[in-house]
Amino acid sequence: ASRPLWQIIARQGTLKAGVRNLSSSTQRWCAQKLRAVNSPSPWVLHGAVCLQRLPVISQDRNPIEEQFLDLLQQLEQEKSMLSDHELRLLLDSDRLSRKQEADYGSDDEDYESQDIVTAQDLEDAWEQKLKQFKPALRIKASDNTDVSSSERFLGDSLVLLVKQDVGHQNVWLLPQLQWEAGETLRQTAERALSSLPGAELKATFLGNSPCGFYKYQFPKNVQTESRIGAKVFFFKSLLSGGDCSSLQKDSFAWVRKDELQDYLKPKYLKQVKRFILNL
Amino acid sequence: MSGIVYRSLIQLSSRAALTSGCGSFVATPVRQSHWFSSVLSLKSSAPLRAEPKKKKKVDPRRELLVKERLKKKLKKLEKVPSELIPVEDFITPVHCFDETRIRSNPLLSFEESERRDLLLKEWSRYKHSQHQAEMTAIKDAIDAQKQALEELKMESEDLYKAAVSPDTNLFPFTHQGPCYTPPIPNYDPPDGKYNDITRVYTQ
Repeated sequence: ASRPLWQIIARQGTLKAGVRNLSSSTQRWCAQKLRAVNSPSPWVLHGAVCLQRLPVISQDRNPIEEQFLDLLQQLEQEKSMLSDHELRLLLDSDRLSRKQEADYGSDDEDYESQDIVTAQDLEDAWEQKLKQFKPALRIKASDNTDVSSSERFLGDSLVLLVKQDVGHQNVWLLPQLQWEAGETLRQTAERALSSLPGAELKATFLGNSPCGFYKYQFPKNVQTESRIGAKVFFFKSLLSGGDCSSLQKDSFAWVRKDELQDYLKPKYLKQVKRFILNL
Repeated sequence: MSGIVYRSLIQLSSRAALTSGCGSFVATPVRQSHWFSSVLSLKSSAPLRAEPKKKKKVDPRRELLVKERLKKKLKKLEKVPSELIPVEDFITPVHCFDETRIRSNPLLSFEESERRDLLLKEWSRYKHSQHQAEMTAIKDAIDAQKQALEELKMESEDLYKAAVSPDTNLFPFTHQGPCYTPPIPNYDPPDGKYNDITRVYTQ
């Protein structure tokens, strides 16, 4: 239904209030019972950045969109009236057909209203001028091959993925860094972006609050009393300039939302997919 | 003042004469009005008996002021309000309604009109599904953010407060939207030539 967004969310919230987030609510309850006042939490905090390059060109149209566009243009032309230029074209063609008849007397012509340059000539001249301008190509050759170029798929929004070492495993993930005391998580995310070796990326962070989070537990042998696992908080940012080419070739990638599954682990992917919008 | 006193005395005496039983005195009742004063009093008419108007010094100035006010009111009435500047966008020029301009469209066949209607219905279905998808995507993103903030609150209050505080550096936010073709690097667009024929009105 075409209800406003806030109504849908409010409605959905009340429906799912009992069902949503069972696990986290019980965990919260237990955590609140166990934790006394001001005891340190057992989760290590990380800040991560979800850097998006927004689309540069418009997407190609679906077949139905093409059909509808044609229909709209037809309707517009049918409902409109003739413009000055079209009237001129009609008059010129009339005059031309009259000239080519056998019994043409040039004295009958109305010389004052004639122009040397006909409307058709003007149209041809305009077309010639348009052909002189060469716009840039919509599709570049590096679309499917070079994953590390940020010029792929100009019609979609891309996300930056980085290959990092996380606890003895070399995995693909959004650039993250451990939180240090004395800074906010957003600053951690900014540090994570700037500390990528060799990259000079300029990004605008959208707000102070995280857009999503992911929680994982360390393997049993690494777990201690104060470090059960890690919580990663993601911050959204938009690419506003800069270059990424000085990074190592295989250590980073610009991927679309549907290509994420080739790179990320399933649980991580599930959380990350929620806040990456492909609109 | 003295005349009034004099007259009243006379009236009293006449009344007294009346009441005390007059002899040969003809007691015609004197009407108590200023037009008929008693015979004994001085012959004076009402305007003569009125006091002279005291001319104060302010009066010539007052008259001048009154005259000025009248002149101002006259000027106001004579003032014609200036013409309103016409908004050219609201006035359709007459040559747009010429009959020669009407297109002669061929009539639509039944198949063509059917095709158009079916296409419109298909389009509404497509747009509806697109809207639903957008709404669910936005809702998912908002839910993810809410959950993240709740988890952060569990972790530490300070970080939560820092996260919830507004970001002053964000606005004004500008972003170049998508065009049909990507921008050509180092392109110098030529200046356009134009004749400015806008009409300038002065009031």
